[in-house]
Amino acid sequence: MRCGDFRETYAEDMALFETAFARRAMFLFLAALVALPWFASAFWLDVSLRVLIAVVAATGLNILTGFTGQISLGNAAFLSVGAYATAYLAGHWNLPFPLVIPAAGLITALVGMVFGVPSLRLKGLYLAVATLAAHFVIEFVASHWEAVTGGVNGISIPSPKAGPLVLASDRQLYYLALPVAAGLLLFARNLFRTKVGKAFVAIRDQDISSEVMGVNVFRYKLLSFAVSSFYVGVAGSLLAYQARIISPENFPISVAIDQLGMIIIGGLGSLLGSVFGAVFITLLPELLRLVTGALATSFPELTTLFASVKMGVFGLAIVLFLIFEPDGMAARWHHIKNYWKLYPFSY
Amino acid sequence: MHLMRNAMRLAMAVAVLATGQAVAQEIKVGGIFDLTGITSDVGKSYAQGVRDYVALTNGSGGVNGKKIKLIDVDYGYKIPEAVSAYKRMKEEKVVLINGWGTGDTLALKNFINEDKIPYFSGSFAGDLTDPAKTPYNFFVAPSYSDQIRAWLSWVKEDWKDKSRNPKVALFYGDNAYGKAPMEAGRRFAKENGIDVVDEEILPGNFQDATSQLLNMKQKGADYAYINVTTTGVSLVLKGAKALGLATKFGSNPYGFSEQLPLVAKEAAEGVTGVMPQVPYGTPVPGMKALIDFNKANHGGEAHDALYVRGWTSAMVWVEALKRADKAGKLTGEGVRAALETFKDFDLGGLTSPVTWTATDHRPSTTTAVFIIKGGKLVKVKDYTFPRKPEWLGL
Amino acid sequence: MEFFLQLVVSGLVIGSIYALVGLGFVIIYKSSSILNFAQGEFLMLGAYVCLAIFTSYKVPFLPAFLLTLGFSALLGVLMERLLLRPMIGEPVISVIMLTLGLSSVLKALVQGIWGTDTRPYPEIFPTTPVMVGPLPVSQGYLYSMASVVVLLTMFSVFFKYSRAGIAMRATAFSQQVALSMGISVKRIFALAWSIAAVVSAVGGVLLGGIRGGVDGAFALFGLKVIPVVILGGLDSVAGAIVGGLVMGVLENLSGGYLDPLVGGGVKEVAPFIALVAILSVKPYGLFGKVKIERV
Repeated sequence: MRCGDFRETYAEDMALFETAFARRAMFLFLAALVALPWFASAFWLDVSLRVLIAVVAATGLNILTGFTGQISLGNAAFLSVGAYATAYLAGHWNLPFPLVIPAAGLITALVGMVFGVPSLRLKGLYLAVATLAAHFVIEFVASHWEAVTGGVNGISIPSPKAGPLVLASDRQLYYLALPVAAGLLLFARNLFRTKVGKAFVAIRDQDISSEVMGVNVFRYKLLSFAVSSFYVGVAGSLLAYQARIISPENFPISVAIDQLGMIIIGGLGSLLGSVFGAVFITLLPELLRLVTGALATSFPELTTLFASVKMGVFGLAIVLFLIFEPDGMAARWHHIKNYWKLYPFSY
Repeated sequence: MHLMRNAMRLAMAVAVLATGQAVAQEIKVGGIFDLTGITSDVGKSYAQGVRDYVALTNGSGGVNGKKIKLIDVDYGYKIPEAVSAYKRMKEEKVVLINGWGTGDTLALKNFINEDKIPYFSGSFAGDLTDPAKTPYNFFVAPSYSDQIRAWLSWVKEDWKDKSRNPKVALFYGDNAYGKAPMEAGRRFAKENGIDVVDEEILPGNFQDATSQLLNMKQKGADYAYINVTTTGVSLVLKGAKALGLATKFGSNPYGFSEQLPLVAKEAAEGVTGVMPQVPYGTPVPGMKALIDFNKANHGGEAHDALYVRGWTSAMVWVEALKRADKAGKLTGEGVRAALETFKDFDLGGLTSPVTWTATDHRPSTTTAVFIIKGGKLVKVKDYTFPRKPEWLGL
Repeated sequence: MEFFLQLVVSGLVIGSIYALVGLGFVIIYKSSSILNFAQGEFLMLGAYVCLAIFTSYKVPFLPAFLLTLGFSALLGVLMERLLLRPMIGEPVISVIMLTLGLSSVLKALVQGIWGTDTRPYPEIFPTTPVMVGPLPVSQGYLYSMASVVVLLTMFSVFFKYSRAGIAMRATAFSQQVALSMGISVKRIFALAWSIAAVVSAVGGVLLGGIRGGVDGAFALFGLKVIPVVILGGLDSVAGAIVGGLVMGVLENLSGGYLDPLVGGGVKEVAPFIALVAILSVKPYGLFGKVKIERV
């Protein structure tokens, strides 16, 4: 009898799922996700939709920051590019959503590449600050280019349409977002089994060495910016469809910080980590709200304190994770899994 | 001692949670307030006013015996937060919502129309007064547009040099609230021989307005209207004082209140402002209830005109709930119908009487202009405008 | 011409505050290579603590101010000891995130304790403007200019002649060499953090006095000052001062001349545009030390 997971062929080594059990578990999990809208209340449906969007955005950021090592504080701005592109394409040109969503992704990818150019010369902190500058520049454009963005008053987005099909309700949107998120995750998983993905990781680990080894650093850095921004643009597009009205206020710098928090808490350079982080950071305020909401009848001050509590818990979560579990929730997950794998004979 | 009491309350809260609340008759009302955002300087006081009036109502028989349950959230002046709060409230099946800012109220107006939930805003944007477009939006004060008209009328009267028109500059925030009355102001100025010589935009969280003020100085403005909240107004006033400018400043009801002289100190001297609600403590018939309530519950703490504003807003919708309940139609549509029966509804002098019809949602068109003298708010006079049809929704 | 001059002068005085906060950034970066995104929160906290000591405990202003400085020094040491020391050797992104997380916690703390209202500040400076030539300048800004000059001189002397200052420079040059020369690098880090917190608190109190009130918006200075320190180069004290003044003037000029053309808001974004432009020509800022990387 086989008493472990032995990879005997290259095919087994490269398989998407390590074991048949993992594959079955994944299918069960997906089935549960598909069934979710029929059980969740409107509020939790709204939250799950936001989780899906956050997963896409965090995966995008993780490709750039976690896998390629390029720090970006410009994610909120890239998200807004995707959202405004959606508003324009769907609102002005009345395009169907199967065109709008990828187009929004591509436009964002282009913008991301433009702001990725400085990454050729800038590293670490200086790059972080350059992307911070990108955030403020894009925000300025978003609030002043009224013809396209509607300025500070914002712009409305029609429900996603394709011919006779109109996805008006949150439940229908969920069934749009779920396959998009799943598909993009699968793509990312495969990306890191290809030459391109390996090049990204090589640049992260040592850019000069990887150049010596024949990786065209500039090209792959730009490509990483493009792929990452494509993901973020798609997330922005979904976000625009969900919000139905967007303005520069939807994309403050704190959104970029939240997303960095997601990949830090989830795990840098881990796709599973982006999912964990996105779920955690999106659910955190909602769970806190449940607790404070329940107590607010007796402690009216809590409503006022809620914003501070939310911010404090978010900051504390990041600080504690960084100090005690720098590899994030994904690493913790692996520990737990490994512990149970050989239970009760683990040693 | 304090700790003990809090612990007791916590225990009670947990007990209530565990057993499930068994209150038979309850009317759920939503509250979307800004307690921590960029307008929290005025938003908190407003929210307190709404809450206190609800508490007063619940303590004195409620709405025909039914208690009001105010489900309020702090949305931090962020539109996305307001939208998600709205979705939660819709699920809680609230009959009515008391909201706050212009940007979020405008963002929600399509949802509100679809869901037929009457929405009271702290925003007095003229856009919200045309029932053909926004049938479920209400507020209790003359619109921002009438307010800027009132202030411009004061400018006209204050201007003694008849050889030329007075020159006015407009300062406004880079958001929907800041820009709301500007078109009305420009047109009114044009029709009344006032020259708008300069417009300066103040970014969301600006720290310094020197360059804007210098620009204004170059254009030679005699008067300037500042359309941001108190903290921002005080920054502009202090900047102007530091530059030694002689311009006479005025402000809107969210920039001008008892708080302004406290924050801006001497820089606030001689500043005028529009006050649709009276300052706290003004001897009018309606003020007694506020002062008694605060004596009984907050140890006689003093408040400001923003508190009065929240209070009057709640006064109006509580009355509407009563009327709708009597008619047996405690639904969004029923409450809207009840609101549209308001005719010169008297608010005890706290603000001018309120009238709504099915075709005109301008609550009133009378507002006072006040001036700060010796750190105190002194009333100059009331201005009343005709209900011109072309001004509806502007 | 007067318009131009006035813009420049008012830009210089605002720039002096930027320079002060920028100094804090540089001192931390110089010794420990950390860009502290929570610097703005240090500034805000300093302003609030001083106000609390002044109003709640009725301590006269000057002792209250000195107590605040003591508090800030302690806070800096604590932050370094509890949070930053475990991060030694972690990637840049983690350290950036840590300071961002820290800034959330500090902001939440201040909001929770003091709320979000603008709290009126005691009048530290007379409010009547002083005439500099033909131009009126508020006195508060003159004090801030003066304190920048004083602090700059103090730091120059400190870095040049004092043991601790020399040790800090040595640590900045090479931590390993410093360690082998018997310098306690840990202590140097703690010293750097407390100096940065103290400098920020000075900035916070000055700002509170100038604006006449303190609120959560003070924390934004942390973000505003980032272009300043990048412009000057992260490891140059003189760069922070020059950067601060230049950015103040740039902001005001762009506000004065470009705002009317595009409808406002240029002032906020101009420093960042300048930043991108400078970084694409000089990737380590104007006065920053160029790093040579070897594999």
